[in-house]
Amino acid sequence: MDKKLEQISALFDGELDQHELEKSLANLHTDPLLKDTMHKYALISELMQRKTQQPSKVTQLFSYLPKLNPILLNSLTAAATVLVTLMAIYQFDAGRFNADPQSTMQLSSAISSDEAKGLLLNADQNIMDHMLHIMQSNQPHDSQAVSRDWVPVGFTPSPANPNQFTNGSNNLYFHIENQQLGIKKVKYYKANKNWIYLIPLRDGRLLTVYGDVPPGIANKMIQSINNRK
Amino acid sequence: MNEGNGDKMLVSEIKSGNPIAFETMVIKYQPKLLSSLIAYTKSRDQAEELCQKTFIRVWEKIDSFRGDSALFTWIYRIGINLAKNDFASSYSKSAKKTDSLDQTEHDVAQFISPEIELIASESSDQIFRYIETLEVDLRTAFTLREIDGRSYEDIAIIMTCPVGTVRSRIFRARQLIIEFMNQENILNG
Repeated sequence: MDKKLEQISALFDGELDQHELEKSLANLHTDPLLKDTMHKYALISELMQRKTQQPSKVTQLFSYLPKLNPILLNSLTAAATVLVTLMAIYQFDAGRFNADPQSTMQLSSAISSDEAKGLLLNADQNIMDHMLHIMQSNQPHDSQAVSRDWVPVGFTPSPANPNQFTNGSNNLYFHIENQQLGIKKVKYYKANKNWIYLIPLRDGRLLTVYGDVPPGIANKMIQSINNRK
Repeated sequence: MNEGNGDKMLVSEIKSGNPIAFETMVIKYQPKLLSSLIAYTKSRDQAEELCQKTFIRVWEKIDSFRGDSALFTWIYRIGINLAKNDFASSYSKSAKKTDSLDQTEHDVAQFISPEIELIASESSDQIFRYIETLEVDLRTAFTLREIDGRSYEDIAIIMTCPVGTVRSRIFRARQLIIEFMNQENILNG
């Protein structure tokens, strides 16, 4: 019996060769105990995934944001916008974040909000993928790829962060992607006072701009970018 | 994540119409999908219904799975898209069910159980404390697999032992954990 169970364990891990796979499936078909055991393996696995303290993609987000996007870290709301896309894959577990309790509460509240849920419902798969891609990246984004022509009038680079542009009261952050990921039109999302703009460029790249800049200001920038050859 | 290359063979079996392979896939990924859907919908009942629908859709659409993404990623996307549709159409959990459940739906339904709630319960802390007491070789192999998602081959290199030993250690770790859960009545035996 142990041999059969060991095969089930390896089957669960996707580590059987074709011969053993067929044998193991046949055993599963005839033995309810094997099914039950595999079900328990799945429960244990899910438990491990949810409770582990191993750095997850969510914690990577937190290590990423302070370097590149302090305004989002401070407000947490725009981060929550993106985390909405993550939480369904990586179960939201406040214990993972190593965040202070107040921040954790704010984040949890933001993620659970109707607004956040609405954002996720309105996001298509390409955007979700894009957000995941950005958040999974541990590499600083290349500021040289950001054309100064894209920056709205009145905004200047921040000395502390080359990807940050400020007009004194509002801040914008730029991220450039070498593919449009199927996004053909400008899309934007709001989370409290922060906004995320996804702008497909004519050269095939995707510009992501985020910060506390409302559409009234960003619209001029978007029009300007769209009108450029 | 438990998404090794072996899923390709499992998928191949499902594509060839092997219902046991499909059932195996359901057993393997149902807890993860259900957890995701519960987190998404905030409703256990709705999540369970969506979970069933998802696997039915998987069965129907498996031929279109090309393996560009991991199997669970594909399953997850189907589930989330169904959830979106549900929200969009104000789907009610009281919506009519089919008069006669087909075999596929039956197979899915039997693996949706309250046991998933274990994951969020205090019992999980007990289990984690127990895992810490496992023999170091067992614990290492098990955590490299479950937490780091390493293949048996990778683990064998890391632990400088044969792949067969890795397989055995992971299996033994799992069995000991199940025995502990049974002993503590965490899964009601």
